[in-house]
Amino acid sequence: MNWALAIPEIVLSVCGMGILIVGVLRRQDSTFLCSMLTLGAFLLAAILSVSTVQGIGYHGQFVIDPFSGFVKLLIIAGAALCLILALDYNRKQRISRFEFPVLMLFSVVGMMVMASASNLMTLYLGLELQSLALYVLAAFARDDVRSSEAGLKYFVLSALATGLLLYGISLVYGFAGTMDFAQIARAASDPVHVSPGLVVGIVFVLVGLAFKISAVPFHMWTPDVYEGAPTPVTLFFGTSPKVAAIAVMVRVMVHPFGHLTDQWHTLIVIVSIASMIWGAVAAIGQANIKRMMAFSAIGHMGYALIGLAAGTAVGIRGLLVYMVIYVFMTAGAFACITAMRRNGRSVEMISDLNGLARNDPALAGAMAVAMFSLAGIPILSGFFAKLYIFLAAVQAGMWTLAIIGVLTSVVGAFYYLRVIKVMYFDAPAEQFDARSPSLTFVAAVTTLFTTFFFLFPAPVVGAAQAAAQALFG
Amino acid sequence: MLAVGGLPVGLGHYLTVAAILLVLGVFGIFLNRKNVIIILMSIELILLSVNLNLVAFSAALGDLVGQVFAMFVLTVAAAEAAIGLAVVVVYFRNRGSIQVEDVNLMKG
Amino acid sequence: MIYAVAVFAPLLGAIVSGLLGRSIGDRAAEAVSILVMVVAAICGVTSFIWIGFLHEPDGTVDIGSWVVSGSFRTSWTLRYDTLSAVMVGMVTFVSTLIHIYSVGYMEHDAFPRYRFFAYLNLFTFAMLMLVTSDNLLQLFFGWEGVGLASYLLIGYWYDRPSANAAAIKAMMVNRVADLPFAVGIALVFLTFGSIEFPIVFAGIQQHMNDMYHVLGSDWRAYEVIGFLLFIGAMGKSAQIFLHTWLPDAMEGPTPVSALIHAATMVTAGVFLMARMSPIMSYAPGALTFVTIIGGTTSLFAATIGCTQFDIKKVIAYSTCSQLGYMFTAAGVAVYQASIFHLFCHAFFKALLFLGAGAVIHAVSGEQDMRKMGGLWKKIPITYTVMWVGSLALAGIFPFAGYYSKDAILEAAYSAGGVGYYGFWCGLIAAGLTAFYSWRVIIMTFHGPSRMDHHVEEHVHESPWVMMGPCIVLAIGALIAGFTLRHEFIGEGWPEFWRDSIVITASNHVLANMEELPGWVGIAPTLVGLLGIATAYTFYMFVPSLPGRMASMFRPIYLLFYNKWYFDEIYDALFVRPGFWIARTFWQVGDVTLINGVPDGMAALTADGARGISKVQTGSLAVYAFVMLIGVVVLVALYLLIR
Repeated sequence: MNWALAIPEIVLSVCGMGILIVGVLRRQDSTFLCSMLTLGAFLLAAILSVSTVQGIGYHGQFVIDPFSGFVKLLIIAGAALCLILALDYNRKQRISRFEFPVLMLFSVVGMMVMASASNLMTLYLGLELQSLALYVLAAFARDDVRSSEAGLKYFVLSALATGLLLYGISLVYGFAGTMDFAQIARAASDPVHVSPGLVVGIVFVLVGLAFKISAVPFHMWTPDVYEGAPTPVTLFFGTSPKVAAIAVMVRVMVHPFGHLTDQWHTLIVIVSIASMIWGAVAAIGQANIKRMMAFSAIGHMGYALIGLAAGTAVGIRGLLVYMVIYVFMTAGAFACITAMRRNGRSVEMISDLNGLARNDPALAGAMAVAMFSLAGIPILSGFFAKLYIFLAAVQAGMWTLAIIGVLTSVVGAFYYLRVIKVMYFDAPAEQFDARSPSLTFVAAVTTLFTTFFFLFPAPVVGAAQAAAQALFG
Repeated sequence: MLAVGGLPVGLGHYLTVAAILLVLGVFGIFLNRKNVIIILMSIELILLSVNLNLVAFSAALGDLVGQVFAMFVLTVAAAEAAIGLAVVVVYFRNRGSIQVEDVNLMKG
Repeated sequence: MIYAVAVFAPLLGAIVSGLLGRSIGDRAAEAVSILVMVVAAICGVTSFIWIGFLHEPDGTVDIGSWVVSGSFRTSWTLRYDTLSAVMVGMVTFVSTLIHIYSVGYMEHDAFPRYRFFAYLNLFTFAMLMLVTSDNLLQLFFGWEGVGLASYLLIGYWYDRPSANAAAIKAMMVNRVADLPFAVGIALVFLTFGSIEFPIVFAGIQQHMNDMYHVLGSDWRAYEVIGFLLFIGAMGKSAQIFLHTWLPDAMEGPTPVSALIHAATMVTAGVFLMARMSPIMSYAPGALTFVTIIGGTTSLFAATIGCTQFDIKKVIAYSTCSQLGYMFTAAGVAVYQASIFHLFCHAFFKALLFLGAGAVIHAVSGEQDMRKMGGLWKKIPITYTVMWVGSLALAGIFPFAGYYSKDAILEAAYSAGGVGYYGFWCGLIAAGLTAFYSWRVIIMTFHGPSRMDHHVEEHVHESPWVMMGPCIVLAIGALIAGFTLRHEFIGEGWPEFWRDSIVITASNHVLANMEELPGWVGIAPTLVGLLGIATAYTFYMFVPSLPGRMASMFRPIYLLFYNKWYFDEIYDALFVRPGFWIARTFWQVGDVTLINGVPDGMAALTADGARGISKVQTGSLAVYAFVMLIGVVVLVALYLLIR
């Protein structure tokens, strides 16, 4: 048993408990200190994740390979961006409490465990660890009725989804006779003679994970939770947990159920198409920008799933690249949304952005880059994300999926461009409050990444290639 | 092996009971219009059905992993229930009600 | 490494003056642009001297990897060999002078000038990326970059419809040529499995006999690639059939014409031929085509130049014609001579344009030579530098053009075969060149003044910030020929060029040039002098002669004057049908289909959005129910399709 494989997770957990103790014992407000310590812990975990040796440990329950390393780095990066945004937001909203970074940290531990899971049991425990923390985070503004409603809704629906996932796990366990991914793969190696019990089990597992990435029709919680939760938490919902969940989904579908690709691929195609259409159409009517971003996230998950539906290493590579780009452009958009404060209060209607280009050209520029990129306009990174995905779809012969993807991105471009139109062509509204430096930092980093990705795509694409290859052996 | 009225109780029976519990739990969530607490109970019901499944399979396969997993599920379910109740309490403080039909401030 | 500094300094300048120009002001932006160009020029010229004369070894500067996709790998790399260094040195040097000149020329311009300087910097950067690239994709990046910059600069005065039309025309014509070029790049990848120059050039012998089977017949791979790459070069270098954008591009400010449409950008095609010389040398069919196009262009553009009245258009057609010479040399696989001419031409053509700019500046923006005349006493320095430029252009000893043009004609003659065609075209064009050059000088500077009074009162010599660069270029035009002749095309060429230009072992053109009949060497000069004499006769001594000649040979005159009707023919063949198709699509496609279907789609989408909003009731029960439906549907579906 090679316990050293889990060092990043272990170190992060120990740090989390240490930070918790620091926060409890210090008499004065220690939110800033705890946040900084958490960022430090993230950095440490990121370095450890990159540098740990590869292999399988804990009796086959825990695997470290290029795929898990890639995903973990992305999870940590997303969480770190959210935490930096939260610093200032939480202070201004008067919900600044030291538990926030700690909860985020434990959620990240859960996600990292998910990324490394090679057994259904590990998968479940990781998933629950991140969910439990997310329930609290969603309701973190505990004096705000909308935030607590968001927490309640997420809790109930997520518990239902987890229950379905568990039921699926129990069926897979019963009909495959094992929880280990490698052994399940062996048990399900003959696509013709798969028992119906296993099939139902697979679908239930798929449903449980589809809920986490808010794929249609398991997305219903997304707009409400996005709207209600504090903005940095909304961003967090949009980035790291989705990365972790889609990574787990990829690993489960490709590794233990890899021999059944021809069968489950139809399900992924349907979910993907439904998500793309739903995301594109529903966002049009939204007046609240956080709600709009929720539907945008649903649509983008549909695009990412195309990569999984392709079922090839190229497809998975496209999916991973997509997630990286998606995390950064979403973070850019949310950095701008976080900056939307007027007279000390957070505002979140699209109409509040009226004429922003005249009041604050830099912020409007960052927002425009994020929106153009989300819409997939060349030469921004969002275009390349879609390019790699559609390329994989076409290579796998899935023209329908690619065509629907292109069509829905045209429809989707409408509501992204509407935001830009509002910012640049409408009469200016009242000015926003001054931005904090942390927010400017996040916006600048993500905007630079989004804008200049095309110059140096090779490191990301190369790493994604290696990660995808690792899955296919 | 247990026998009820001359009929031996096999794996199929356990699975059937578990499936019924699952369906009860799921229906409990979306047919219930009254109280959020009932939803929490329905979730427990679903987890119960899963545990039943796991233990039954574990016995049938002669493999202990299922029972270990059931232990984990029990533990996690306790934690989940605690957090769930805390969220419900917070919600009640803000809204003054935990009627399910009142949980609809955000929509569209 | 200073080489990288030379390439990236202009980018820095473009970013600073482009993005910050509005806040730091025009003066500061100009200062930044010129400062970075001076740095770039020092570094660029130093690199050139190091590799060309101090024999520093070749090398590359790695910047980072760019695209990695399967077996397709491309990186950002600067190639440091003689060919690149020659271009870097020339581009940075000439560009710096033109930057300085622009300060004076753009002084009274109404638009904010930081934009202009940012574009100039950007253009220089793109050109440097083009000439230093180590693979075809980066070259294409630079290729499109100069295309973009030229679009921006031609259309710089965006409130003039003619400038916008010219910018769009340049863009369109270049796009037409870019398509075959891009296909050529793809074929290089297909054949060699890479577009990195070191790998491609190393695989030359191995793929010598590769064939493409297209349309039922076999084509040699190198011929097809060479042909396609040359089409790309034709567009950028304004060769006949794709030349129509270059004269129109004179709508841009004059420094732009000097920098882009004379000294650097249009030479990209010639550079491409030299850079791809390892492939081109083994594509004799494509090379023949290059010679024919090059020779034809040199003659054809010269005939038009003789009849134009716009001073800048005359010089523009002369550029076209000189580029034809360079391709003639490239076509007989004497790339050394074509690069030599490119190098010398950059000096005297930039000089001519800047001189023309000074003239235009002096006569309050007038470009029509019929409204000039008698200027030589009022602007003597401009007059002098125009003389130097014209002497160099006409190839009179000992100016730069004498050496480079002679070399090309001798090379064409000694190559024989199709080379004779190039030689005769070039020889006649040489006479015409001299003729129209002196036609410009005489019409502009001599004879009675044809200006109106207001303009005449304001005629003044340009400020030193404009004349300084002209004088430097004039010195260059005077000495570049005999100082560099030995290295570029003389006995010194093998050490000078080393591996950057490849010619086949059986190619002895350079050696044969020494043993040509005597008259071949003297003929260009004689023809040139004859051209000058004719010009004097026509425009100085017997001013009635041109009119009589024009009416006597009216059809030919009209043909030349109307630029061989290329614009009219293209208008009838492509533009009008294009508009017709577009209009049809608009009427049928847009109004009925595009407006109909998407309007319907939009209505449908809006309805969908409303419908979905109704589903999102906010009720937990509904949300859970939708999830359950999803589960049931997916399970049923899986069981069905299994």
